[in-house]
Amino acid sequence: MNISFNWLKQYVNLPDSVSAEEVAEKLKLSTVEVEGIEHAGALLGNVVVGKVVSAEKHPQADKLKLCQVSVGNERLQIVCGGSNVREGMLVALAKVGAKVKWHGEGEPITLEPAKIRNVESFGMICGASEIGLAEMFPPKDDHEIVDLTDVVAEETVGKPLAEILNLDDAILEIDNKSLSNRPDLWGHYGIAREVAVLFGKNIKDYKTKPIKPAKKSAVSLAVEIKDKNLCPRYMAVVVSGIKIGESPDWLKARLSAVGIRPINNVVDITNYVMVDLGEPMHAFDAKQLAVNNKQLTSIIVRKAEPGEFLTLLDGNKIELSVEDLVIADSEKPLALAGIMGGEYSGINDKTETIIFEAATFNASSIRKSSIRHSLRTDSSARFEKSLDPNLCNDALNKAVELLGETCRSAKVEALVDEKHFTVATGPISIEKNIFAKKLGEEIPAKQIVKILAQLGFELSDKGDKWSVKIPTWRATKDVSMAEDLVEEVARIYGYENLKSALPDMSIAPPATNNIRALEHLLRDVLVRDMRASEIYNYSFVSREQKEKMRDGAEYLELDNPLSKEKPLLRRSLLPNLLENVVKNIEYFDAIKIFEIGKIFTPELAGVRANLNGSELLPRQENYLTFVAAEKKNDKPYNSALAVLERICEELSLTFVIKKSETKSWQHPTRSGEIKIDDKVVGAIYEVEPSVSANFNLSVRTAILELNIDALDEARKEAEPLAYQKLPLFPEVTRDIAFTADKSVAHEKIISAIQGADALIKNAELFDVYEGEKISADKKSLAYRLTLAHAERTLNTSEIDEVMAKVNKALKVLGAEVRG
Amino acid sequence: MQEKLTQLKKTTLSTIAGAAGLADLEEIENKILGRKAGELTELMKGLKDLPLEEKKTIGALANEVKIALEQAVAEKRSVLGAKDAEKMFAAEAIDLSAPALPKNERGHFHPNTIVQRSIEELFSKMGFIIADGPELESDYFNFTSINIPADHPARDTQDTFYVKDHPAWVMRTQTSAVQVRAMREHGAPLRVIVPGKCFRNESTDARHEHTFYQLEGFAVDKNLTLAHMKGVLETVARHLFGPNTEVRLRPKFYPFVEPGVNGEVTCSLCAGSGCRVCKHTGWMEIFGAGMIHPNVLKEGGIDPKVYQGFAFGFGLSRLAMMKYSIDDVRLMESGDLRFIKQF
Repeated sequence: MNISFNWLKQYVNLPDSVSAEEVAEKLKLSTVEVEGIEHAGALLGNVVVGKVVSAEKHPQADKLKLCQVSVGNERLQIVCGGSNVREGMLVALAKVGAKVKWHGEGEPITLEPAKIRNVESFGMICGASEIGLAEMFPPKDDHEIVDLTDVVAEETVGKPLAEILNLDDAILEIDNKSLSNRPDLWGHYGIAREVAVLFGKNIKDYKTKPIKPAKKSAVSLAVEIKDKNLCPRYMAVVVSGIKIGESPDWLKARLSAVGIRPINNVVDITNYVMVDLGEPMHAFDAKQLAVNNKQLTSIIVRKAEPGEFLTLLDGNKIELSVEDLVIADSEKPLALAGIMGGEYSGINDKTETIIFEAATFNASSIRKSSIRHSLRTDSSARFEKSLDPNLCNDALNKAVELLGETCRSAKVEALVDEKHFTVATGPISIEKNIFAKKLGEEIPAKQIVKILAQLGFELSDKGDKWSVKIPTWRATKDVSMAEDLVEEVARIYGYENLKSALPDMSIAPPATNNIRALEHLLRDVLVRDMRASEIYNYSFVSREQKEKMRDGAEYLELDNPLSKEKPLLRRSLLPNLLENVVKNIEYFDAIKIFEIGKIFTPELAGVRANLNGSELLPRQENYLTFVAAEKKNDKPYNSALAVLERICEELSLTFVIKKSETKSWQHPTRSGEIKIDDKVVGAIYEVEPSVSANFNLSVRTAILELNIDALDEARKEAEPLAYQKLPLFPEVTRDIAFTADKSVAHEKIISAIQGADALIKNAELFDVYEGEKISADKKSLAYRLTLAHAERTLNTSEIDEVMAKVNKALKVLGAEVRG
Repeated sequence: MQEKLTQLKKTTLSTIAGAAGLADLEEIENKILGRKAGELTELMKGLKDLPLEEKKTIGALANEVKIALEQAVAEKRSVLGAKDAEKMFAAEAIDLSAPALPKNERGHFHPNTIVQRSIEELFSKMGFIIADGPELESDYFNFTSINIPADHPARDTQDTFYVKDHPAWVMRTQTSAVQVRAMREHGAPLRVIVPGKCFRNESTDARHEHTFYQLEGFAVDKNLTLAHMKGVLETVARHLFGPNTEVRLRPKFYPFVEPGVNGEVTCSLCAGSGCRVCKHTGWMEIFGAGMIHPNVLKEGGIDPKVYQGFAFGFGLSRLAMMKYSIDDVRLMESGDLRFIKQF
């Protein structure tokens, strides 16, 4: 919303020393966001009205003229390249010291006396864009200068152009979003009320003359409100004798200043009142409304009927919803209430009788209709903030008053005021100490009373309480309880004047978030130990990704996805991570990435959706998914396994990997589920080759998935780490190498070795070979055994005996011991 | 014998001086001073056959020669040793400018993680619980519970993702959605922060992302005031932007607080004098904050007549972007390792 500084000053007496910038700064700190200040005449310093006394050809240049220009008390010699310069012309003359934009571009430059082709020039006759007036005086070509001859009077020669063109105004650009809770600030008078308080001045009363309808009128008007909740007040006045024409210059200038295009004297008035008071108005051409046989015009405020259409002022025809509130006559809808008028009943050049509407509509209903039809107008923006119904009266009075000024023949025929509203002005009772209690600052009672009184609140002293009556313009939405008044006082007192403090609080340590702590621990292990990189992905996946994985499971879906591309809520971190691999393998030979995040499983129950009731949200478990992919590595599974081992080592957990039902995206012979204490905590696998192909993955990819919630549960049950006594007698190590069928699992071998003799304290696999040197169905394995006796040193024959038992146990498994 | 000794000394000293290397020297030493067959050792063996008087003088001379030769050998050895070491060091010289090989890739945290952890640690020290909540949230907790009833215009400003076939479910638009859950779980007094993922249905460009990270914080106790809120925000701002950072509060409407404010901090780049980053205002808008609305406390099962508190929130993604001068928010969830590996 644009606010004219001069317009504001019409309602508050600000000293000349107060600049628009100061007003903006105070508004920003206490009331609303001011996004910028536009000085209309920013480039008009030292620019005056000049009269070209003579214009002769420049002695040395064909396209230049040598001019003598009168600026009242003196004559200046100016070299001018203007294509339209002529003797007797009134021009915009920039004197030495003026700041102009050369050819309308770049930063302004300061004019100095100059020699142009050997002739001195003491200033410049300006083109519109050079002094920021291109909108007001659109130039026909680049070399045209502003012709003021028909715009200003001869007497103005020598006067500052800004003053003559009423361009000494500053426009404050206010962020509408910062006004969403303040229905009272949507016009100049409301902002002026705040400015008055901020500068300790009085606001002038908004004076209007009551409307006096003619005793005998040719037109009578009836208003019927079908739904009083949706329209608590509807005022309408019928005015005849209208001559549609241009508005007076002052009115057009006012509207132009705040960015509203003047249209005609009637429409301009409705717009003027809206930006002045904040009450949107509408004008109908009364002739277009149906009249019954008793010459009665009826306005009906009702919901639209099924199948009704309305062509709006912008020319668009919309199908109305039965939830839309419309203004109708006895036959047809005329306007979408509070949002936009209809084309049919709009004001046109031939309009003679008008109906001015000033009404109040239900904020929520306006908002819904406005969203439904994607129509956000200046009017709907205001109505959806819950306007004070009391505004209608002032607005209508003002409109009729202005109409009288601009159209002498106007005659008020009828006035109707249908009202069914109350405004919750209280009084409310508040504790006097609530201000100190909430703000932590003792503001003197006198100051509190003064601030609230200036803002229009009426206070009466009730001992340790105040009884506060809320002004109607604040009572529709914004202020209803003690805390609201605390804010009023705090913002005017100034948040910058509140001293900060740190609270005294209990030193009891906060409850630990185990899941978050575990997530961070996992990140540390992955990044610092396993040298992986952390990725953040969207929580959404596409149907294509689901199909590529051949995942038949049910996915939750967004009702209104941003793009149709990824409407599904991920059930696993995998699909997006696979896409990450595809994208990154272009740049890196080896990829080790992971993500930690929530997945959405609709068939499992999660936390409660509401305080009461049994509805549960879908379960949203925290997952870690690690991905390893390396060019030239055809068994990345090992990389994933190494990560799992390192994690479990860190957490003192023992895991086993068991063959399980293979998912469609898992390699059937390189996949298993991870169990800790017999509970599944995740899965480890390579991606099934055809699924890889679906994703255009050119490298073998291994995945480690851990359910962080399950891992946290397992962690709670983990045996605490305890120290083992150091051996009293020396341990002996022996290596044993053998070949076995590929199908014989390490698990079986190790249990055979360890079961061979009680003296074997430990056995570890340290080498595996499969390849050309042995037959295709065999693998070569090497284990390191640790032997010890708790009470004595082992001798060679004992050791040989144990190794013989091991050999025997291995033979049972079909192993052939080497050497 | 005396002559022999003098002669031996003379010749040996000159051979020692002429020794070309340590091996040479060793040979000379063995030949002359060797315990078993060294020339001097052999000569000295003859001492025992001399008369007593001669034994004394010659013995002293022999000893003198031995010491002199031993000293000469030691000196020569140190000279030769230094020369050899020099050669060795020259041969062993390394290129100090070369990197360690093979290159040892390190892992990388996501920039948001780095910033989030640093802030979590700060708040933990101040006694705040780190809470979390569902990302797919009910309309009730995301909106209604925090004083944004149906039809409230504030719902407009947060373009919301809804879930198909579940009209009362949304992707949470703000971490404030966890306020009432945490109040119900922990009761008053409490101090909580909620860092987390949020979603808004808006088109993405360099400055807008439909998925981003926020941090919500709130504290409830009997006497917590707006002054305390200002103090906490200052602490956070100074942690993030340096010890001289100032905080400025301006009124701003949020349905879940009253009074509601906007917390700005002095621009970390220009220290408040005005630059491009702060749009020449000297201030950067960081926090939304305020005193928790009584309706929210009530929903949280906390009596607003007994307890009061403050709440604040800020964009974690935005802080991470500011910290590392990241100019395109879309990089954060791009999964592009060329980006991630810079942190």
